[in-house]
Amino acid sequence: MSKRSRVLVIGGGSTGCGIARDLAMRGVDVTLVEKGNLTHGTTGRMHGLLHSGGRYAVSDQASAEECIQENRVLRRIASHCVEMTGGLFVQRPEDADEYFEQKLDGCRECGIPAEVLSAAEAREIEPYLAEDIERAIRVPDGAIDPFRLCVANAADAVEHGARVETHSEVTDVLVEDGEVVGVEVEHAAGSGKYVHGHPGETEKLYADYVVNATGAWAGQIGEMAGVEVAVRPSKGVMTIMNVRQVDTVINRCRPKGDADIVVPHETTCILGTTDEEVEDPEDYPEEGWEVDLMIDTLSELVPILDEARTIRSFWGVRPLYEPPEVGSEDPTDITRDFFLLDHDERDGLPGMASIVGGKLTTYRMMAEQISDHVCEKLGVDAECHTAEEPLPGSEDFSVLREWMDEFGLRSPIGKRSAQRLGSRTDEVLGEWDGPNPTVCECEAVTRAEINDAIDDAGSELNAVRLRTRASMGNCQGAFCCHRMANELSPEYDESVARKALDDLYQERWKGERHALWGEQLSQAMLKHLLHATTMNRDGDPAKTDDRVDFTAFDAGPDGGAAAGDGQQSEDAVADGGITDETNAGEGAADADS
Amino acid sequence: MSDAESPATTEPTDPTREHETDFDPVSVFDGDETMDLRPGADNCYKCSVCDTACPVAEVDDDFPGPKFQGPEQWRLKRKDGGEIDDSIMSCSNCMRCDDACPSGVPLSQMHNTARGEYVDEQMDKLSREYVRNRILANYGTLARLGSKVPRLTNLVMGNSLVQKINEKVLGIPSERDFPAFASQTFREWWHERGGANVENEDKRIAYFHGCYSNYNTPEVAKALVRVFESFGYEVVVPRQRCSGTPMFANGMLDDAERAAGVNVGEFSDLLEAGYDVVASCTSCSMSLRQEYPELFELSGIEEVAANTYEALEYLRIHEDVRGALDDASVDDQALAYHAPCHARNQGLDRQAVELFRDLDGVLIEDVGDSCSGISGTYGWKEEKYETSMKIGEEMFEHMRDATGEVGMTECPTCSMQMEHGTGYDIKHPLQLLEEALC
Repeated sequence: MSKRSRVLVIGGGSTGCGIARDLAMRGVDVTLVEKGNLTHGTTGRMHGLLHSGGRYAVSDQASAEECIQENRVLRRIASHCVEMTGGLFVQRPEDADEYFEQKLDGCRECGIPAEVLSAAEAREIEPYLAEDIERAIRVPDGAIDPFRLCVANAADAVEHGARVETHSEVTDVLVEDGEVVGVEVEHAAGSGKYVHGHPGETEKLYADYVVNATGAWAGQIGEMAGVEVAVRPSKGVMTIMNVRQVDTVINRCRPKGDADIVVPHETTCILGTTDEEVEDPEDYPEEGWEVDLMIDTLSELVPILDEARTIRSFWGVRPLYEPPEVGSEDPTDITRDFFLLDHDERDGLPGMASIVGGKLTTYRMMAEQISDHVCEKLGVDAECHTAEEPLPGSEDFSVLREWMDEFGLRSPIGKRSAQRLGSRTDEVLGEWDGPNPTVCECEAVTRAEINDAIDDAGSELNAVRLRTRASMGNCQGAFCCHRMANELSPEYDESVARKALDDLYQERWKGERHALWGEQLSQAMLKHLLHATTMNRDGDPAKTDDRVDFTAFDAGPDGGAAAGDGQQSEDAVADGGITDETNAGEGAADADS
Repeated sequence: MSDAESPATTEPTDPTREHETDFDPVSVFDGDETMDLRPGADNCYKCSVCDTACPVAEVDDDFPGPKFQGPEQWRLKRKDGGEIDDSIMSCSNCMRCDDACPSGVPLSQMHNTARGEYVDEQMDKLSREYVRNRILANYGTLARLGSKVPRLTNLVMGNSLVQKINEKVLGIPSERDFPAFASQTFREWWHERGGANVENEDKRIAYFHGCYSNYNTPEVAKALVRVFESFGYEVVVPRQRCSGTPMFANGMLDDAERAAGVNVGEFSDLLEAGYDVVASCTSCSMSLRQEYPELFELSGIEEVAANTYEALEYLRIHEDVRGALDDASVDDQALAYHAPCHARNQGLDRQAVELFRDLDGVLIEDVGDSCSGISGTYGWKEEKYETSMKIGEEMFEHMRDATGEVGMTECPTCSMQMEHGTGYDIKHPLQLLEEALC
């Protein structure tokens, strides 16, 4: 395997994967390294809003214009990742009329289709909006699945010759003669087609140009190269509701503030968010009050949220950046725009650029600009086609519905599968041989889809989860974590499957901890009991290496009686006080017939 | 007494009454989606107890069970108008899942809603299945016509050739004997009798007899009248239509709502005059109590639901029935009692056994908590017949094991199934009370 490529991209989030795809499509030999699995960082921890640009229409019109432009591109190239829900900016009585007008004007100035709705019209669309709302602006917001988007970009990059290495953490940036020449990575445990190294092994990867697309982690990579990248990571909490209280993106129409958006996402709604600067993008407090704030504040817009079931909460870290001379005090004042830092120009260190700031909706545009920059540096003359070429899964999406009956799936399961798989539905479901039971009931994921994800992601079940949504529904994996692990056999051995199961279970628990009240507490307890007691997963001898003393078990109620008569005890029947032995015996015999 | 003297028809005479549905307190919802099932879906933590209680899932491995039919499907199909899976038509609407759920998920409401949507939007209105289901669901209308010439109807429906034709043309299993029509309906008897024999301003009930005890088993309805009069109740028999149970079970929610409009209108007027609603069929009382308010928005529906009772239940609340039976006796008889699922859901599954076990002359045995399997119109469908009989097998077996060779149950279709599976005669508890007290 070649240790050398023309471009090395660090970071398997939307930006990094987008850059890898763009460069690979231009024919550039590119390698992407990621320390976890794809979307391990910020991409995997966002609320899934496909911006119309409306949120920036007052404060940051340049971003707003980019958003509406890319919104249209993504609807075209990533249709299987996007649900065009539409969005509303809702004004409450205490929200200023002036801001509402500014928002409307701003949208129109930026070319964002915007329409004013009366309170009655808005409530016709979304009946759960508060009764006392004033009015709303309708914009083309949508929901986007960042996991599928990222994976589709990576898959297409590989299709075009790129190499993608997950579970490969950059431990050093190699600088020779004052120039960045590559990185050193350390491989971690993992498997699948994006993993080639062995756990614990380090490897030096050389490249003509290195792109630091690590977002909130860009400062850490910069430090390894001896340059300062002053990223200001800012955390935000997101709370996931069990069902969709709204089917449209609901924004509060007021200047920046916490807890002002509800995004319907697949089977759920995601409430967001806060904006608070943190020191370390991987170590920051996750606090209960932040979750309470989401629910309390957003209940002003959608009162039913107050009683609705929460299934988990998670935090993400924005990779905010601003040129040091701006010096914003409040992270909410920092621009959402992105910056390309050419370290040659800026720090006199050739061979590397860092990309910071930005947002998911404009990931493709960012990738295009960076790829242009890289191509210019490398003297490559090639056009960008990422805005025209659909991502794998989004080609001819419209023809899907006609085949759905063929797969023998129950209607909502087939429909959900097709929505996730897009144009790959036929390949994944149609070519599956053998029984195809539903593995994850909450999110309607079948064995065929799980196996397709395992083929792509390897044994890591968290990566399978991101590709399929399995274990992301209301039971949070209570009924499917172990079934997913089961699908790893026989390709992977028992210890790999067990580790993958534990990792997935722990990852789920991390978010469930923030929803332990009401129905979700019952759910968590049931999950715990199923796994800890019924499956004995907390004391499994196979895991603890203890020997099982089989002689400690008794031989059952029939205690060594000859076989043949044994089933009698299984067939106890409740037949209304008839205790006569003959009758009971006959009943038992009949029941077997 | 004016109510009792109303015309004998159970069909609406005033067309404006049919459409008393303009009251719609949740008009902010678009389309037909008036029922909010979100909290119901939130309540499910997937323990699957409902699946273990489902008699259809027990015998049919292809049936995905109540958890899927209810909260899971509801959550998965938001929004985009995803289709309802056709397996919803295999749910028998026994409603055992409601009773089984430890978390208050309105499963049967979710099933009824899904089935209604499936039938409205996905079922071919010209298909044999739709036509057959519509006929079965509107049994009351069929019965009204048939009972005009009961002997002829019985002769025709009992003809094996006709039964074969029914199976081939309509998908009604030829194994089943069509229930015979009484030569005189209950309402005809009531009018001939001149209505009530007792007047009492303090104790008065409005009797919801339903279709079956009017057309097929008027002896049950007569027993109710005599028993209640023996306790000093004034009985009225208002104009009424089908309770809606077979319509819910077939996803014919529009038909059910029209019938409910008539029933709620008639009975809520009587509530104001101090009457309580009493039914002799446990599915009728279940429908008025639970399904009406869950599925429809009609003026007075909550009050009707809150004041409806099953006959035995009502007497046990208000009268010392046990005391009355202490001094009574009946001819020696042994009974195999089956509690209908809908009785179980109302907490009434032990009432007959508790009441009659000390009655002189009676040996009563509960044949267990299994479902009879017929579930109203379910067992009347050719494609469901086998499932229906498989579900019923446990009950048949326990009936055969019981000492008695006469069955007892509150539910008309359970009694058809009990008779079909064992050949026993089946009695209603009210008939035994009548024997003991009147």
